[in-house]
Amino acid sequence: MEKLILFSLVVSALIFSGCQKKEDAIKIGVAGPMTGDQAKMGTDFKNGITLAVEEWNSKGGVLGKKIIALVEDDQHDPKQAVSVANKLVNAGAAGVIGHFNSSCSIPASDVYNRAGIPMITPASTNPQLTEKGYSGVFRVCGRDDQQGKVGAEFVINNLKLKKIAVIHDKTTYGQGLADEFKKFVKKNIDIVYYSGIIQGDKDFKTVLTSIKEKKPELIYFGGIYPEAGLLVKQARELGLDIPFMSGDGTIDPKFIEIAGAKAAEGTYLTFSPDAKKISTAKKFVEDYEKKFEEIGPYSIYAYDATNIMLSAIKEAATTNGKAVIEKLHSMEFGGALGKIKFDKKGDVTVAPYVVWTTKDGKFEEFWKP
Amino acid sequence: MFIQQLINGITVGGVYALIALGYTMVYGILELINFAHGEIYMLGAYLGIIILGFFTAVGLTSYSLPLALILTFVLSTIFCASYGFTIEKVAYKPLRNAPRLSPLISAIGVSIFLQNYVMLTQGATDKVFPHVLENEGFEINGIRVTYIQLFIIAASAVLMIFLHIFITRTRMGKAMRAVAQDKVMASLVGINIDTVISMTFVIGSGLAAVAGLMVAMYYGLVNYSIGYIAGIKAFTAAVLGGIGSIPGAMFGGILLGLVESLSAAYISSEYKDAYAFIILIIVLLIKPTGLFGKSHEEKV
Repeated sequence: MEKLILFSLVVSALIFSGCQKKEDAIKIGVAGPMTGDQAKMGTDFKNGITLAVEEWNSKGGVLGKKIIALVEDDQHDPKQAVSVANKLVNAGAAGVIGHFNSSCSIPASDVYNRAGIPMITPASTNPQLTEKGYSGVFRVCGRDDQQGKVGAEFVINNLKLKKIAVIHDKTTYGQGLADEFKKFVKKNIDIVYYSGIIQGDKDFKTVLTSIKEKKPELIYFGGIYPEAGLLVKQARELGLDIPFMSGDGTIDPKFIEIAGAKAAEGTYLTFSPDAKKISTAKKFVEDYEKKFEEIGPYSIYAYDATNIMLSAIKEAATTNGKAVIEKLHSMEFGGALGKIKFDKKGDVTVAPYVVWTTKDGKFEEFWKP
Repeated sequence: MFIQQLINGITVGGVYALIALGYTMVYGILELINFAHGEIYMLGAYLGIIILGFFTAVGLTSYSLPLALILTFVLSTIFCASYGFTIEKVAYKPLRNAPRLSPLISAIGVSIFLQNYVMLTQGATDKVFPHVLENEGFEINGIRVTYIQLFIIAASAVLMIFLHIFITRTRMGKAMRAVAQDKVMASLVGINIDTVISMTFVIGSGLAAVAGLMVAMYYGLVNYSIGYIAGIKAFTAAVLGGIGSIPGAMFGGILLGLVESLSAAYISSEYKDAYAFIILIIVLLIKPTGLFGKSHEEKV
């Protein structure tokens, strides 16, 4: 074990000394879950960044220097995220694209803020991240509260419902989403049932029986796909045939598999738009899929985040953190996702959420706010 | 709706009772809390998915679904029973005369081993059980019962009746009760203790396998860690009924299912897991041996 540690120390020392010699290169940190059960997300993420970096390098880099992406694995572990963040800062990263999970981005943002370098996360949606008052923290994805709002608008304006039930899984994400949704619908809609369930539980018949008694027209669930799948399945078993609605944590093929295609039919889910349907993303999708595999849900966000970071460095004409952060706040960027501008907090000014539905066992985009 | 909640509760309770029987039988005979018992339940669920998947691949499921299901039940019960048998021989038998804590720690070790073994060979993500009896059921006065629920309630009842007859009426049952009372005396009158203990593990594991498979069919979702919480709940049920007592385990399981279901329905669903344990604490404070437990006389 000791030998292994020593070996990895030597190797990392060599890597970093190797980097430091190339002083004509600009280093961009990349942090996300590259191994473990979320490795797929990490790979989607890394591929999007690699594509952007290669495009810039083929055009001669930024400020006449080549761009190097320093990829680090945070294993979606908050502790690991902090150590990775320190590593990237010490390696001299000019800015960081990452992290993936909100639970990692939040503690890591402390480190980047202290070092004075900007971070842009392509995927962390927890509102807290940009509420800490750090000027250098940005995200190109939406926020859970914006997501709840879009869901609420859909239920009020499109479905025109009067009575609904809201449940959540008591986690930061799930309850946060359900509460935001509730906040926006409660003026117009009667919430006849509101309660939490236990994440990891398999039996929701009791809750669903209580819900059935109240005769709502829709069930909104804040949580992720295993519970969502079971809820839909068991609701149908109880003869509760009302639509089900949830957020981006549920948009996973496993959801349909667990619930069964027939039971899941007509479920509404708030999620970012289908990249394949965005006109400005056409070239990106083609290039990405030619080089790697099918694009993942967050590949395009990683790609745009990288382009935004590099454009800001180019405009600032320096890698100085303060100058780059200033540019990030003032500029408007045109990327694969369309026009992106950050507000004072570092959030995107236009929330990119739409409503998807399930049809014949597949997810498809359904409604735009 | 009250009756609907009762049916929900009895379904879950029946499953708890089947698992609790394995805990209580082993405790009755060895005074060992077999912490690996929940993992046998989990293995039963996984084996069900694997065996049914195999039958689907060879075309038996489309030929005759009932036949495929019966064979799946029989095979996974046999597999799990042999797991139970092997675990006893490997992890508990060598420690039979060791201090009481040693087999307990060995049991925890087996539990961790089995969880990781399944995680590494089957993956850490949720496995979906094939939708065999999709949402089918009937409705009376707005109360909906699915065939799977009916099947779980009926199967649990039949198995418990069989077990009761086995324990009270057969020679092996008598031998088990004798060993539970006094191991040394039982061996003096010519009972082969090893056989009795093996039989206990085989029966307990078989019941857990049936419970696991029924749950997999009912919920349609299985992962490597389901044995832990199910094991804890079933253990609670066994203690509630009086550990070592077979009618106690049956009653404790059903009671636990009902308490969970009714309290989640009429108080709050957020603390569903807590109610079961609150009831446990109250029962233990009032009657430390559990509802059906006999106070333990010191053997001289």
